[in-house]
Amino acid sequence: MKLLSYFRLWLACARYSLVRTMMFRMDFLMWGLVELFWMGVNIALVSVIYEHTDTIAGWGKYEMLLLVGSSMIVQRLLMGFFWSNLFELGRNVRSGNFDFFLAQPGNVMFMASTRKIDLEGIANVFVAGGIVVYAAQKLGLHPGWDQIAIYCIMLLCGLAIHYSLITLAVSLSFWIVKAEGMEHGYFSLTEFSRLPREAFHSIARGIPNVLFVYLLPAVVVSNVPARLLLHGFQWTHALWLFGIAVFWFSLAVFVFHRGLRRYSSASS
Amino acid sequence: MPALAKYRHSFLIGLQSNLVYRWNFALRASFSLFHLVVVFILWAAAYQGKINIGGFDLAQTMTYFVTMLVMQFFISASNEDYQISEDIRNGLINQFLLKPINYFGYRFSIFVAARIVAGGLALIPVLIALPLMREYLAFPSELWRIFYAVPALAMSAVIQFTIAYCFGLLTFWFLEIQSFIILSLAIETLLGGQIFPLDLMPKWLFEISQYLPYYYQMYFPVSIITGRATDTSVMLLHLGIQAFWVVALLAISEILWRRGLRRHTAVGG
Repeated sequence: MKLLSYFRLWLACARYSLVRTMMFRMDFLMWGLVELFWMGVNIALVSVIYEHTDTIAGWGKYEMLLLVGSSMIVQRLLMGFFWSNLFELGRNVRSGNFDFFLAQPGNVMFMASTRKIDLEGIANVFVAGGIVVYAAQKLGLHPGWDQIAIYCIMLLCGLAIHYSLITLAVSLSFWIVKAEGMEHGYFSLTEFSRLPREAFHSIARGIPNVLFVYLLPAVVVSNVPARLLLHGFQWTHALWLFGIAVFWFSLAVFVFHRGLRRYSSASS
Repeated sequence: MPALAKYRHSFLIGLQSNLVYRWNFALRASFSLFHLVVVFILWAAAYQGKINIGGFDLAQTMTYFVTMLVMQFFISASNEDYQISEDIRNGLINQFLLKPINYFGYRFSIFVAARIVAGGLALIPVLIALPLMREYLAFPSELWRIFYAVPALAMSAVIQFTIAYCFGLLTFWFLEIQSFIILSLAIETLLGGQIFPLDLMPKWLFEISQYLPYYYQMYFPVSIITGRATDTSVMLLHLGIQAFWVVALLAISEILWRRGLRRHTAVGG
């Protein structure tokens, strides 16, 4: 019952976002184009490198494209559903506008992170999906429906991880008033998700391997779903991804609520 | 000379106001080191079992990216377009119309100050990481390169600033220019050579890129410094094309400024 009422709340926000987008159509088009261009930049990098080499850490061109596409889907989902909310969260805490969310009927973290939906991000999820489908076709992959379903669930786990990381970063603003620039940290981290895990093995005595593959959930987010399509289902990988999704999400919930206790409005 | 004194003062103010954000710069520079790690992992994997890609070894390629990163802090425009846009929107620009100071000159002197502060601070994390990177840095030893690199860098900075300035002036026509800015940033990042060395592109694309201003924003000076450019007669030709773009962009900015002011209605201020 409670879940249903949250869904209804979310639906109301989604409707509001849709109306807003239809009012500013030109804005939607421009921002959609912006995202599309940045995705193009990453694709250009892949195609230029593979002009000069056949494999990167054992991954061929289309395998790499599948990996990059998977990482883009997760990132676009985050951009579409959560980014502008979370980005404003830090500013709102600083300015005191955060009061607004405290007065709303529902969990504060939910209300603060789902108010706006950016449809251009969601539109580009389909472009990123198109890249994955194209790569899969070039590789001659024919995943079954069960595999596609698991792939989607894995991407959602990835989304949960990204959401948690960025929530953790902006929650810092409860403690440090000027936590601006933390979002750069998030973007730096997502860069790692476009790399194949095998590339980390033999580098700098394995320090990046420990840091970005095991300690921080940067690489696993894209590599596990891509490997599922390429090499089939593996229990260990699935459990690993699911486990860290639960861990990071719990941590984000905990830290956010701890921070909330410290919040002491600004204007009043 | 009193005319220069005005801009010296705005330069000094620029220095002070940018030093306020020293932690932001240092933080951003530290995050760019993460970017370097990504670049290194990717290219090291691409070089596995290969000695050269496009005629350059791994160390030369990494030298390119490190130089690119440092130069980015020293010469690239960061939020000048946004600041100019804000000046126009808030009506702050009105005070420049009434005073004997050139807005371009004022903004440019602040830009120079900001680059000195940002570049200086970005050097700190790079110097700290230097022991880790040393074996992957391979600069050419020819001293004559400096004579080409210095004017190329200076003109690059002017091109960077003038493009940002023009985008800022678009506010006279459009209220919201953030999306234009980020769109052009994507093009500049790609065609300026920050994603990959432009010489790795297919030959015909590389040749086309040499006629665009983006090539001269970053790639050109960095290719001189890191030894990717070797032919001095080509360098001279490119310095000429770069000078052409400097003049052309300055002319465009002047036209935009004059046309824009005609549309401008001084609100507030």
